[in-house]
Amino acid sequence: MNILELRDVSCRYGVGTPFEMTALSHVSVGFEKGKTTGIIGHTGSGKSTLVQMLNGLLKPESGEVLLDGESIWKNPKDLPRVRFRVGLVMQYPEYQLFDETVRADIGYAPRNMGLSPEEIRDRVMEAIRFVGLDESLLDKPPLELSGGQKRRAAIAGIIAMRPEILVLDEPAAGLDPRGKAEIFESLNAYKEAHGATVILVSHSMEDMAKYCQNVILLRHTEVIKQGTVAEIFSDPTLLEESGLAIPAAYRLATNLCRRGIPLKGELYTVEGVARAILAYKEGRGAP
Amino acid sequence: MKDMTLGQYFPGNSLLHRLDPRAKIIATVLYIATIFLAKNVYCFGAVLAVSVLLVLVSRISLRVVLRGIKPILFILAFTMIINMFFTQGETLLFSFWRISLYLEGIYRAILMTVRVVSLIVGTSVLLTYTTSPIVLTDAIESLLSPLKKIKIPVHDFAMMMTIALRFIPTLVDETDKIMNAQKARGADFNSGGLIKRAKALIPILVPLFVSSYSRAEELAVAMECRCYRGDVGRTKFVRLSYTVKDWLFLVGLLLFGAAIVLANIYLPIGFSV
Repeated sequence: MNILELRDVSCRYGVGTPFEMTALSHVSVGFEKGKTTGIIGHTGSGKSTLVQMLNGLLKPESGEVLLDGESIWKNPKDLPRVRFRVGLVMQYPEYQLFDETVRADIGYAPRNMGLSPEEIRDRVMEAIRFVGLDESLLDKPPLELSGGQKRRAAIAGIIAMRPEILVLDEPAAGLDPRGKAEIFESLNAYKEAHGATVILVSHSMEDMAKYCQNVILLRHTEVIKQGTVAEIFSDPTLLEESGLAIPAAYRLATNLCRRGIPLKGELYTVEGVARAILAYKEGRGAP
Repeated sequence: MKDMTLGQYFPGNSLLHRLDPRAKIIATVLYIATIFLAKNVYCFGAVLAVSVLLVLVSRISLRVVLRGIKPILFILAFTMIINMFFTQGETLLFSFWRISLYLEGIYRAILMTVRVVSLIVGTSVLLTYTTSPIVLTDAIESLLSPLKKIKIPVHDFAMMMTIALRFIPTLVDETDKIMNAQKARGADFNSGGLIKRAKALIPILVPLFVSSYSRAEELAVAMECRCYRGDVGRTKFVRLSYTVKDWLFLVGLLLFGAAIVLANIYLPIGFSV
């Protein structure tokens, strides 16, 4: 079932000026409840615009954004409530930190929700547990945190709203592989704990193949294909035509196939290829 | 925020775009002087016509230029009304209680509006819309360079201005981004009293200041890495030079100004302000 849906959404920037530019054209996509959906596409394909449509930061020029089957623009007064349900972590979210302490900053959204101080405290504690931020950092000013810690504090600021749908625009950009993995693991943990729906934008095909169930492929403001991870990543020509890198594991697998080692299975993740190679070796009775 | 047009450069390749920026600054001064010299209906007609001509030559759509006037529409309307009702004249059109409306008042209101509109349209088309800010500060530095002789740090001021102008769009973009991020956390900028609204700005201003400071620091380091030492021995990539068309343009404007002055004296027909 789709919890969130875009129906024939189009959007342009700078209408009527010499800088007019189409950002999305006739985009129709659905996001399955409880699943992780990835949005991939080359720079300028409209990913960030699409993401800002999901919680009503941008208004579509035409078309509808449906949350639980209801248009979020039907009653603009309800938009804040939509934004609490659809939590959006923007690109480089550490810029949004402003309060005197990390605790106060993470509590900003819950305060805006009008929750009681006890409830806010609980949510802040829960949020830092999910993102793996140490409790001793809570009373420090956000500016004293390291880059990776700032990123996690910013994500905690959204998780503290306990959104049903968590949308993240490049959450791991600029982090080292370990920091990256930690971020994705914490998202998974949140999703498991609350049965949340997660929507991810990323440049890294490896991460997408690993953490998503569904994938939406954008090219030049249009949706080219949407489907399961297997459906998208088993079509390398499509990815290449969209200016995207093919996952390294998949390249290894195709090279092996070309050299007479037929592999079968999920050939787009490291784990999948490893399993396929092991299965092949067993099949041949190799040591 | 992205719809701001007043004071924004529109890239292009029209005659106005290609003129020397120094010539354009001088031309703007001449043009402003001409507008204030214009005294009667004919002169104002001519000034308005020249403004429209400048817009046409710049190949920037009239709609975009008119949108630049939108922010001052209120001031414009206010001036118009004040002029209309507070001008004493000879031909009384209408009188009610203490308010009286003279024909001269209406003339005056229209002429004032024409003056302000051509002032804004003319200067923005001549300078801001068709000259990139970087070139503009180059031109200012070049025009003011005689002041270096009396030890005024013209180059440093020009560099400061270049940097300030360069970062306006960046700051606008960033404000947009931070506002969106805080809106996503349920920030509300449009309701409540004055104090509540002012408080709602803190989550925008703090991150904006923080990133501006760190950006300034990065820029300073980057400039030093490229051996920036100020004015001393610096050569320029873009060299400004006057050409025939710059001179023709300036002479044309000068003649237009002279014509306006003559028209003021020898064409006393029509209402004058």
